[in-house]
Amino acid sequence: MTRGSDPVVDLGLQAERTALAWQRTALAMAVGALVAGRLAVPAFGAVSLVVVVLGVVPAVVVLEVSRRRYRAVHDALRTRGDLAAIRSAGGPIAALSCAGLMVALVALAFVLLR
Amino acid sequence: MDEGVERVPDEAPTVHRFPRRVYGAGREPDPRFSLANERTFLAWIRTSLALVAAGVALEALELPIAEGLRLASALVFIVLGLLAPAQAWLGWAATERAMRQDRPLPAPRLGVVLAVGTTVAGVLVLAGLLLR
Repeated sequence: MTRGSDPVVDLGLQAERTALAWQRTALAMAVGALVAGRLAVPAFGAVSLVVVVLGVVPAVVVLEVSRRRYRAVHDALRTRGDLAAIRSAGGPIAALSCAGLMVALVALAFVLLR
Repeated sequence: MDEGVERVPDEAPTVHRFPRRVYGAGREPDPRFSLANERTFLAWIRTSLALVAAGVALEALELPIAEGLRLASALVFIVLGLLAPAQAWLGWAATERAMRQDRPLPAPRLGVVLAVGTTVAGVLVLAGLLLR
């Protein structure tokens, strides 16, 4: 890690705030999935593990995406280089929207089927 | 204040970027605004998670609320949690598109639905608490 001495390139710390927003979204998903999995045990037994996996796997993916995007955005801002990282947000954003829909559908099934 | 990040001049849309509906027209906005739009998207996703969590918790914890009203409020919360990712995606795309074309930013399409829905769910919980 040689990035410790990077100068502040943006006083608004946009890249950092965006990375943190991705990270707290991932944490909310992971915690939600773990708690939901635990709450589902009385009604669904071992099947509850599916809920945990469905929430934790996307959360880990989101964390990794945020890490890569932060690196890329930070480097682009630092070098005033190609900001392609910022402009290729469509994929992760679409994927996370789908994950959000899926979480809500699983919750709907849980409430209706329990 | 900082001096800002240079606005990238018009460039030919050579590389295909997803979604084309957003990136197919206009010019690159200040990257800080694109990042702010991204954070707004993420805030909607967390809103969805919170709404879903509220609905699931009402039922899973079997809170002492009249059962019919409890189920109704849980369903309202979860349906709102289903709508929020749609708002997140559509709102992100519409805002990014508007910024690229120097048009006024759109208001949240589902803002009213979410406000009314959350109120209804809250009233149902209150009624369920009083009627149990």
